[in-house]
Amino acid sequence: MAAEARGIHRWSGWLFVSPWLFGLALLFVYPFVASLIWSFSEYDLLTSPRYIGTDHYERIASEIVQGKGVGKALWNTFYYAAVSIPLSTMLAICLAVMLNWQVRGQAVFRTLFYLPSMVPMVATSILWLWLLDPRDGMVNGFLSFFYETPPLWFQGIQEGVSISSPFQFGSKDGLTLMSLWGVGNFMLIYLAALGDIDTTLYQAAELDGAGSLQKFRYITLPMLSPIIFFNLILGIIQSVQAFTQVYLVSEGTGQPAESSLLISLQLFLAAFRDLEMGYASAIAWVLFVLLALMTWGLFRSSRNWVHYRGVRI
Amino acid sequence: MARQLPITILLLIAGIVAVWGTTISLTSETPMDREEVVFWHFWSGPDGKVVDDVVRRFNESQKDYYVRAVSMPGNNFDMKLFLSITGGDPPDLINQDDPIVGDWAFRGAIYSMDEIAPLEEVERMRKWLLPSARSLGEYDGRLYAVCNGLDIRALYFNREMVEEALGGPVPVELESVEQLDMISELCTQYTNGQLRQVGYLPDPRRLWAWGPVFGGDFYDEQNGRITAGDEAIISALQWMQGYRERLGAHAVATYRQNDQSLPNKMFPLLAARYAVILDGQWRVRDIEAAQEVSRTKGEPVTRYGVWPLPVVSRQGKNGWVNGNVFLIPRHANNAKGAWEFIKFWTGAEGHEKDAAETCAAGGWIPVSKQVVESIEFQTYLNEHPLFARFVEFAATEQVPTPLVPGASRYYREVNNLVQRVMYDDEVVDLTTELKILEQTMQEHIDRIQGRPSFAEEHADE
Repeated sequence: MAAEARGIHRWSGWLFVSPWLFGLALLFVYPFVASLIWSFSEYDLLTSPRYIGTDHYERIASEIVQGKGVGKALWNTFYYAAVSIPLSTMLAICLAVMLNWQVRGQAVFRTLFYLPSMVPMVATSILWLWLLDPRDGMVNGFLSFFYETPPLWFQGIQEGVSISSPFQFGSKDGLTLMSLWGVGNFMLIYLAALGDIDTTLYQAAELDGAGSLQKFRYITLPMLSPIIFFNLILGIIQSVQAFTQVYLVSEGTGQPAESSLLISLQLFLAAFRDLEMGYASAIAWVLFVLLALMTWGLFRSSRNWVHYRGVRI
Repeated sequence: MARQLPITILLLIAGIVAVWGTTISLTSETPMDREEVVFWHFWSGPDGKVVDDVVRRFNESQKDYYVRAVSMPGNNFDMKLFLSITGGDPPDLINQDDPIVGDWAFRGAIYSMDEIAPLEEVERMRKWLLPSARSLGEYDGRLYAVCNGLDIRALYFNREMVEEALGGPVPVELESVEQLDMISELCTQYTNGQLRQVGYLPDPRRLWAWGPVFGGDFYDEQNGRITAGDEAIISALQWMQGYRERLGAHAVATYRQNDQSLPNKMFPLLAARYAVILDGQWRVRDIEAAQEVSRTKGEPVTRYGVWPLPVVSRQGKNGWVNGNVFLIPRHANNAKGAWEFIKFWTGAEGHEKDAAETCAAGGWIPVSKQVVESIEFQTYLNEHPLFARFVEFAATEQVPTPLVPGASRYYREVNNLVQRVMYDDEVVDLTTELKILEQTMQEHIDRIQGRPSFAEEHADE
């Protein structure tokens, strides 16, 4: 009797998880395996995939060498990630620390700084198109005090963080600013982590004569390092996946002159505009490998700078 | 209790599915005695209402077919279509305005009209269409798409500004691009060192128009070769580059971006930002509406005119055409019904009056001379003289983006290059860049053409 009940119980368990298992197999495992197969095939969605070996990967390698197509998109994505992730990390930590101060209206400030993260990406993109208008935009209105020729933002192909055109901000810099505006999610995580830091650490530091900066440098930052690490990985993934805002500000083409063509948009254009699903799958796999390598590298480096409860692992 | 739980859940799921299924069948609007024609399009707003009206009139005129129009505004139209084709349940008819006909025809994603309708009827349709409309649907000598509305570009001008700049009457037509350059220079004005008003500024996307006007071809159909490096196209791009050199890349980019910031993407000509601008016939409505507002307010009414693109060389074409086309996806359930609707909409086979009504309601350029000449449409043209000029231009030699496999990417890559030329002060060797583009695109097209098509693979079905 007991054995029979256990059997039924086991089947009930499988039945309850079956929708999830079905979803996992259909929406994750199948596309994962299929895209790997397609990456070695010529496939246009309409006809059966035709095996062509490593042609797509060779094409990607050649485009990376020439700095065109995928090469250009990878560079754009790298630039966007390299500028936006450190900036958003710094901004989120600063905001979280300030919003952690016990001041009157703390809840109101927290809400205000988190609000932009709740605005849909479409609305955010339209808003920033206006704000960053080179002539009448509010941002350039302010920058015109410092610049003779204010930045072109979404219409510019320049890169503001470069030797060739320093501070001449172009489309990728515009996207970076947009990403900073939505830093509230990261800020919220840092805020929660700050609340978790043992106050006795600060008290001990004060007894030792540590000032505010020293407490921040030697207590807050190390105690936040697991969260910084987590957000760093999340930030890299988000940069690679950034699509909606790029699509909207560049009218779906990565304009001007491919300067805002991030890798996700390049992948979309290859798959659904040019019907090169095999090539797009190969791009996705190259990205997957790159992301895996970067994450692995971060995990390796984390031994040197991430502290779990004051201990390096 | 534990034994009954899984059965209860299964019954619950079955119940939900059954109720859902019933709801779906209840929402079907197609009469039982008629065959349904599913029509996907991207129109919404006022244009959507015009489409609904055409569909209503067709359905009222029919005993055999019933068109169910599905509006799909947004940018994932193509993706949905291809998924529906591969899933085996495509719509019967779609509307498109991207340069995809050659690509989709080559891949076998769409039917050639002669696979659906009697050959003589298709031939009649071909002859009946204006050459510019026909050119938007022909691939490899067969009609794969039927144009339902032409988009023609011409040079709108602010008559007051040009008159003032010339100090006399405005020419009826421009004699040359040099004359356009001269007018542009006279009308360009600065305030505090910033461009306040531009005479004319070439849009980077319109090398596709100026290239053929300068006498160039983007594709050699006879030899199946991409010819972006054509001397005349290089000349056209050099001419466009001249504007950047005179005004400066920063000023050009700033000015162009600022157009986007006008309220509701207002026509920049109406905001007095340009004296001359290249745009399509749909702007006539904006101009008429603005003039009406001025009249109502008792303000002076600004006068506008339109010029065709000037003749540059003897081999030059009159301009660039694109437009909306009907396509019938392969394995559509009711291709014959779709063909009937195509004839009704475009005005073929005795439906000229209906088509005239549709074009007048939408402000669309008819695809056939017969529709243009109908009394109904002539009445409309008399009331809208500016629009009438576009109809006149539609009958001249207007060339489309080449109908070749991979044309979407070709279109994009050319625009990317021109943006680089126009928005950056970097000195670009135009000949070299266009030759590289030509080679890259040729490889792209060769790669596509080296594979079997959907039609070949599903020949038995």
